[in-house]
Amino acid sequence: MSQNKNINLGYINLFNTHIIPVKFNYHAPQTLEEALNLLNKLKDKARVIAGGTDLIVDMKLRRKEPEHVVSLNKIRELDYITVDSLGVKIGAIVKLRKIEKEKIIRERFPALYEALKSMASIQVRNMGTMVGNICNASPAADTAPPLLIYNATLTAKSLNNERKIPIEEFFKAPGKTALKEDELVTEIFIPYPPQDSHSTFLKITRVGMDLSKVSIAVLTKFNGSIIEDIRIALGAVAPTPLRIRRAEEFLKNKPLTEENLKIVQEIVAKEIKPITDVRSTEWYRREVAKVLVKDALMKCLEEEGGR
Amino acid sequence: MKYVGKSIQRIDAFEKVTGSAEYAGDIELPGMLYTKLLLSPYAHAKIKSIDFSDALKVPGVITIAIGEDFPFRIGLYVNDRNILARKKVRWVGEPVAAVVAENLEAAEEAIELIKVDYEPLPPVLDVRDALKPDAPLVHEELGEYAHSPAFNPIPGTNIANRFVVKKGNVEEGFKKSDVIVENEFLMPQVSHVPMEPHTCIGQYMKDGSIKIWTSAQSPFAIRYILGYSLGVPLHKISVYVPYVGGGFGGKAGINFEPLVVLLSKKAGYRPVKLELTREEQFMVAPVRQGFYGKIKTGVTRDGKIMAEKILYVFDAGAYADYGVNIGRAAGYSCTGPYYVPNLEGESLTVYTNHPWGTAFRGFGHFEFLWAIERQMEIVAAEIGMDPIEFRLKNALLPGLTTPTGEKLREDAGRIDQCIKAVAEKIGWGTPPVKITPNKIRAKGIAALWKAPAMPPNAASSAIIKLNEDGTFLLSVGVTEIGQGTVTALAQIVAEELSVPVEKIKVVPFRHTDLTPYSWQTVASRNLFMEGRAVIRAARDVKEQILEVASQVLRVPKDDLEIEDEKVYVKGRPEWSLQLKDIAAGYVYPNGNTIGGPIIGRGYYVGSRLTYLDPETGQGYPALKWTFGAQAVEIELDTETGEIKILKLVSAFDVGKAINPMLVEGQIVGGCVQSISLGMWEEYKYDKNGRMINPNLTDYKIARAGDIPEEHIVVIIENPQKDGPYGARGVGELSMLSVPPAIANAIFHATGVNINNLPLSFENIWKALKEKR
Ligand SMILES: Cc1cc2nc3c(=O)[nH]c(=O)nc-3n(C[C@H](O)[C@H](O)[C@H](O)COP(=O)(O)OP(=O)(O)OC[C@H]3O[C@@H](n4cnc5c(N)ncnc54)[C@H](O)[C@@H]3O)c2cc1C
Repeated sequence: MSQNKNINLGYINLFNTHIIPVKFNYHAPQTLEEALNLLNKLKDKARVIAGGTDLIVDMKLRRKEPEHVVSLNKIRELDYITVDSLGVKIGAIVKLRKIEKEKIIRERFPALYEALKSMASIQVRNMGTMVGNICNASPAADTAPPLLIYNATLTAKSLNNERKIPIEEFFKAPGKTALKEDELVTEIFIPYPPQDSHSTFLKITRVGMDLSKVSIAVLTKFNGSIIEDIRIALGAVAPTPLRIRRAEEFLKNKPLTEENLKIVQEIVAKEIKPITDVRSTEWYRREVAKVLVKDALMKCLEEEGGR
Repeated sequence: MKYVGKSIQRIDAFEKVTGSAEYAGDIELPGMLYTKLLLSPYAHAKIKSIDFSDALKVPGVITIAIGEDFPFRIGLYVNDRNILARKKVRWVGEPVAAVVAENLEAAEEAIELIKVDYEPLPPVLDVRDALKPDAPLVHEELGEYAHSPAFNPIPGTNIANRFVVKKGNVEEGFKKSDVIVENEFLMPQVSHVPMEPHTCIGQYMKDGSIKIWTSAQSPFAIRYILGYSLGVPLHKISVYVPYVGGGFGGKAGINFEPLVVLLSKKAGYRPVKLELTREEQFMVAPVRQGFYGKIKTGVTRDGKIMAEKILYVFDAGAYADYGVNIGRAAGYSCTGPYYVPNLEGESLTVYTNHPWGTAFRGFGHFEFLWAIERQMEIVAAEIGMDPIEFRLKNALLPGLTTPTGEKLREDAGRIDQCIKAVAEKIGWGTPPVKITPNKIRAKGIAALWKAPAMPPNAASSAIIKLNEDGTFLLSVGVTEIGQGTVTALAQIVAEELSVPVEKIKVVPFRHTDLTPYSWQTVASRNLFMEGRAVIRAARDVKEQILEVASQVLRVPKDDLEIEDEKVYVKGRPEWSLQLKDIAAGYVYPNGNTIGGPIIGRGYYVGSRLTYLDPETGQGYPALKWTFGAQAVEIELDTETGEIKILKLVSAFDVGKAINPMLVEGQIVGGCVQSISLGMWEEYKYDKNGRMINPNLTDYKIARAGDIPEEHIVVIIENPQKDGPYGARGVGELSMLSVPPAIANAIFHATGVNINNLPLSFENIWKALKEKR
């Protein structure tokens, strides 16, 4: 029995942990077109890098071993935040920290603002991007639940094509997205939430500034005591971040009574598929998801001005 | 006093903040080679064969070593450690082979080409299983290992040391008790997580001498153990230690230094550097031992502890060369800071197939105080007494005896004052409050004590030189591992010789050829012991200055005084000499010279310390006891198990704060470490004994955001007459007993007892759930 087969345990490579133990070619195109040309040529041999706060970690652990790494960081045309009457557009290489500091985000997209603020550390947020967070397709990506409730849309481009992907259709599996191998995401568009709606984000972690064990974003719009619009999305409780449509349908046009709240908690607990891993157990994730659903809905209700 | 007792800035601050301070990793030597280790993927397996022929072909590879190349055993107290695994591997991460190459990349490439054939053996992965009669043996040859006579390994078992302490008559004590309470406690292994991972360079010289550059706490211990194990005389070994980027005990004793030295010899006498990565630091470097405790306490209705029966079991992992002394130290302090008239304590250090254990800040006390301070709370509740009152009723005050029968000295610190101080500042006595249906605020308290765990002959020394311009050089063997001792020592020199601190340089490195001896930088012993040595060295300097000055100024020595860098005649300050004028001998106008370079020296060893009786554990092990207490106010979310520490209060009787700011720094830092260890830190394994969180993504330590918003530090100063200016040590003490204070607060909030660490949100939640 040779040990070589046993050695890479996924979370740790028992041989080498020092430098990136793979050789790769590094490309730093100046324009989007150049980048798309490269992807068109290299296809699945290439990986796009933005802040690298996910990709470098994966390469170090050999979860990803690209032959080519294409950096987007020199492409100035991807570095923008624009605000118009419909919503906000954010380019692919805008740093998390910059988005978080944008006034419009804090004022109109509080759930996204809370999520950004809760992520990693300021140092990491100065490097990482929101598009990277989404494209990495981690079930625990903190910006995913808020983008889900705000019905964000991604712009994906390849050399010969451009398409819009609603975020709900973007995540396929852990680390897997709807992107084709020659495509990259250039922009996230986030439409304004309905007037007079409330939204919030909560997460449970192990220590401060940590990856989520469970995260949630909720949006509500009340008409009197009746819930007119409701959106619920959770992270880290299934192979992808997800909207809980069944819970939303149940709550729609109902008042947020204690009884309804209990039913919603049970629906959420049924809809999610948490796992047990080094960070948490399935059991805890499921139970805590229920608590977060309640807390998030109650917070929205409070903002609305109580029962 | 002008300098002692003042909060001056640390003398190494500028160097460290500007990045100019030297660390072992900064050192690059001409012709230096680099080594990379191949780690065992099995917790317990026979090594059947190793084939490294392909690896040797990698360009740049100089040599590859395996265990059989180095048939030496090393160890601090028990010689149980191999340089590289021999015949079998004992934990996942044990180094099996080492590649030495011109550069790291070549070494890394070669490592992957080594093929090892293992035959897996059943591993021992729980310390309680390790004690069962049919448990697989981690060390079949335990009986053959050399060991210090203070220890008692039991061949044919996994017990590396059994320590027993007996006092009074337990059976009688339990008979006189109204209530008997018994509980079990558990704690996982943890890492020191030093900012600077283990780093060392070794060079075997062609003349047979040895040079080492290392990030280590104890250069003299390395020199001694290496000399003993390899049969090399000490004057042929030199160990150089620059600043150390955090040790926390993990860099005490001897670690990878023998490996790099022997690799150097094999690689043709070129220097070889080993620098662990963070992941290797988790898996290859030594850890803090795991812990299991069982305590049975007998108490009267009115709250007097009558008897205690204690069992502590330390999970030493694969090697216990240092761990045996942790078990022993926990054994002789086993009751915590309380008077227990009838006691039977047993403390075992036990081998398992976990990573190997070593010293860790607190040295066993963090572990057993978790058990004792939880037990005190449970017992108090059982007899319906306020836990503060119960602790004070049993407080170990001067005149009472410790577990080893030592009568606590008159000028010992005062545990009662520490407990009262934290109780007052936390506002003890108010019941828990519900601030929402699911959020409760509650308070908890825990006490602590510790003495240095060291052999009775552990020594310290100091040299002070007066330079030609009147400045001073202080040389001491205590290493600067972040704790700040050298700043306090400079303040002592300043006070003794009445010179400004700016005129004193503490030599920023240790070199065993030049530096005066110090046993080890451990145990919170160095301010006390180096402090005494420094006072003596300063007085020696003073004596030499006065000797010369009395001739020049023509008055008897006792009519002279030193102040403001001058020596002058008392009452006649105009008759004086500048210190610089006698630094290298005083020169008369005609050229005649008297005196010569002034070099003072001083040493210190503990007074009247003894070995402990092997049957009963009775004797005098303690240089000094430092006492303290912690109190917290927490907010608990009963639905998620989340807790927030709203307020923390710490009180320590330090005797005398030589530098209050540094004392406070130690206490704040220590408490953050204590919270971190109590709430998050934990080696997690899969069923094969492989650590599944060997990185900072999943081995969580406290972040800035986890520090309590309010932390009140109370410094109590009951001076100890033989301490330097009355001071006792506090370095390790500061990280004790926060977790039991938190768990006690959870108990008051919910009635739920949590006896296993860590107090992670999920574990708290689980405990609350089970109660419901
Ligand atoms: C210490 C630390 C703490 C962290 N804490 C958190 C946390 O609390 N919450 C959290 O959610 N995350 C956390 N992360 C993960 C990470 O920081 C974020 O996911 C970040 O947003 C990733 O952005 P990036 O620009 O660095 O992505 P990169 O690493 O550059 O890329 C990530 C992935 O997306 C792909 N990609 C990037 N840009 C594009 C594009 N334009 N088109 C197509 N594919 C693309 C890359 O190929 C790669 O697969 C943490 C990471 C670290 C190192």
